[in-house]
Amino acid sequence: MRSGSDSAPVPRNRRPRRPNVHLPASRLLAVRREVAGALVSVAGLATSPVRDLDGNEVGRLDDVVVRWDSGYSPVTGLIVRVGQRRTWLHVADVARIDQREVRLTSTRFDLKDVTRREGELQLLGDVIDHQLVDVHGVRVVRASDLYLTRVGDRLRLVGVDVSLVSLMRRIMPGHWGRRPSPRHVLDWSGIQPFGVPGESVKLRRSHDALRRMRPADLADLLEDLGRAERRELLDSLEPDTAADALEEMSAAELNDLLRDAPVTRAAYLIASMEADEAVEALREMPRDERHDVLRAMDADRRVELGALLAYDEETAGGFMTSELVRLNDECTVQDAIDALNARTRNVEETSGIVVVDADGRLVDDGDVVDQLLGVAAETRLKELVGPPWPVTVPPHADLAAIVESMTDNRGSSVLVVDDENRPVGRILADDVVDALVRAGDRRWPWQRRAGGTA
Amino acid sequence: MTAPGTGAPVAAPTTGKARSRRRSMFLAMAAVAGPGLIAGLSDDDPAGITTYSLLGAQYGYRMLWVLGVSTVALILFQDLGARIGVVTGQGLAGLIRQRYGARAGVLSIGALVLANVGTTTAEFAGIAAGGEIFHISRYISVPVAAFLVSALVLRGGFRGVERVLLALSAVFIAYIAAGILARPDWGAAAHGLFVPTMPTTRDAIIITTATLGTTLAPWGLAFIQSYAVDKRLTPRELPFLRIDVVTGAILTGVIGFFVVIACAATLNPRGLQINDAADAAVALEPLAGRLAATLFAGGLIGAALLAASILPLSTAYAVCDIAGRPAGLDDAPREAPLFYRTFAFVTLTGVVLVLLPGVSLVPVLVGTQVLNAVLLLPLLVFMSGISRDRRLMGKYAARPAVAAVYLVVVALICVCILALGYFSLT
Repeated sequence: MRSGSDSAPVPRNRRPRRPNVHLPASRLLAVRREVAGALVSVAGLATSPVRDLDGNEVGRLDDVVVRWDSGYSPVTGLIVRVGQRRTWLHVADVARIDQREVRLTSTRFDLKDVTRREGELQLLGDVIDHQLVDVHGVRVVRASDLYLTRVGDRLRLVGVDVSLVSLMRRIMPGHWGRRPSPRHVLDWSGIQPFGVPGESVKLRRSHDALRRMRPADLADLLEDLGRAERRELLDSLEPDTAADALEEMSAAELNDLLRDAPVTRAAYLIASMEADEAVEALREMPRDERHDVLRAMDADRRVELGALLAYDEETAGGFMTSELVRLNDECTVQDAIDALNARTRNVEETSGIVVVDADGRLVDDGDVVDQLLGVAAETRLKELVGPPWPVTVPPHADLAAIVESMTDNRGSSVLVVDDENRPVGRILADDVVDALVRAGDRRWPWQRRAGGTA
Repeated sequence: MTAPGTGAPVAAPTTGKARSRRRSMFLAMAAVAGPGLIAGLSDDDPAGITTYSLLGAQYGYRMLWVLGVSTVALILFQDLGARIGVVTGQGLAGLIRQRYGARAGVLSIGALVLANVGTTTAEFAGIAAGGEIFHISRYISVPVAAFLVSALVLRGGFRGVERVLLALSAVFIAYIAAGILARPDWGAAAHGLFVPTMPTTRDAIIITTATLGTTLAPWGLAFIQSYAVDKRLTPRELPFLRIDVVTGAILTGVIGFFVVIACAATLNPRGLQINDAADAAVALEPLAGRLAATLFAGGLIGAALLAASILPLSTAYAVCDIAGRPAGLDDAPREAPLFYRTFAFVTLTGVVLVLLPGVSLVPVLVGTQVLNAVLLLPLLVFMSGISRDRRLMGKYAARPAVAAVYLVVVALICVCILALGYFSLT
């Protein structure tokens, strides 16, 4: 989409800015007119006359159908209202589409009934005025207008107008309301549209860029979408991508989303999340639903999350993750490396291994990089342990105590141990940062955690 | 308000199961409560209190049934609005645009914005009038109120706003007290509530339409839907939300009832004329005692504050929704500029119109009432259309019988507006 002022490729930052176009006003207007002349406004096509080769009116345009794939979607056909009947007209029968009328190639053609096919979008019915995801700008938009233009030998959908000006234009009567007014146009290839809720035909595929998106951005998008669109987007994501995005959502949003999903799907998503985030999500649910979700998980995960749920959410027990790489001090370095490799879930942060004695009591908390690299594989871990001894906190320690021991420790994490000095979990620096941010967000004294549900 | 289960073990021993179930029901209810109560009670704003005062002062207990009908309509449509919001996750403005096209959306929301600016002006005028009863200059009361309201919304975040608004709505108890202090004739009140009589005069039709229009305010309908969306309620919580909505609507009706009987018991028998709610408060003093008058005026200020915080909010939700821009109390001003700009615009316009010397508010307020009543029709038609749309509502789509009830209310309002038009022209 190379049009006017606003359609330069949008940078991948949060809010696309208008690029500085140093053109005199008259020249800018000329460029805009020229571009507008090459574009066909889809909104302006509604109820346009459809004429055959001889210029006789056959019917009125009802909708424009495109096949959605990445890139610029080709027009596959038109839906034309002939009398009371909605009929399908293949694009091959169309000679020309301009803002005033649609001309057909002959005087005889097939009119078939309209059927929805997979991957097809009806632009006036499904896309204009509906929510769309702008994957480059990372935001949810509503389409004020869509623009078609001829690319090569095919008519393709190239741009989405999201400006208020174009929305206002459409309320004007007659030709004023139909003229393309490209103001703030997004490249169609960077748009994720949605299928039709309630119809069996779905788009299914999601935009490639969505999979590469930062989880926090994806979470923002999910929060801004309507319920049906949100569900469709979430379903189209891979479980890991989805779980990462969910971890970034506010408690209330996440609660809404998970409780909206079928129990098995919710259980699967929660189980894919990090333990501490999963527990936070579970805490938000009413007891009955929490039970159902836990029951739908595999046994290990259920026991682990159930144990974490027993702690108060404002204490070390509530912040920690219980995923630890725990090894007896008789084990060798090779065993430690094997254990790290064998971790089933992708636990991104911990490079730490917890060394315990025969009774399961904490001996040392070692860092893989510092202490295991360059050491002979058969060395036993008890030969490697030594001061400085790890700083720990009890499960009931509050945020202030955790922060204090973490600053003393200067480490990236702190271990949580029970009364018997047995390690039960680990609090990572990022969880502490999250908790501090939430505490700082607190807008009213009575709020425990702002942003979410009190 | 805290979501249930603060640290309770999942596999807790289930002794006293029934009690814990009741407790969890209560917590679930408490977490959902808000939209219905706030949106309902804010309909008892100064314009509403004025209308109800007039209804009582002019017609005594006779036309209480109009309030009953309005309350039923309020229950139906607030419930519908909340349900549409929860099921679709979208605000009313965006849905109208999506379902009925840009023209319908922009025109109806444009009218809504205009009406909301007018109504906000009416709220600040109510604060000014209420303050003056307590000998506070409007040049102090109005800016202070505007500041408080904006600070609450900008600073409060979603939960903070909700709590303060709920606490604020407690002022409506003042009206119940004022109504009882006026020593009404309960028998006549019951008769007026359940036995409809309709004087066919122009004034009676105006007051009937005004009562319907002020109880079932367009901004309230738009607000409850946006609020349910912003609050992130799920379809699972619909039963609780319905309790919240019905409670809010009935309370709204009950408060209106006490305002009407307070005026019916005191002003009507003596044939006293009033122009607005502040007049009613002043007129009440010699008849029902100083306490009743003070409660009435205090309630007026509280009601105006509640509505003055909701109106700019409701407008901002609607404008962002139709424009497809981010909107939400949990978004920072930088993330949602249009949201906060609309909020500021509506609040400031209201304040300026009230404080500007030499500006007569009467045409603004009358025009707003008319616009609100007329706007109600397309909005209710759109809402009932959306409620039947399976594509949007899925399994929550309204059944034909329910949809027919919606249409009856629409027809009733239509008749009122037509009658009003007829009487105005002849």
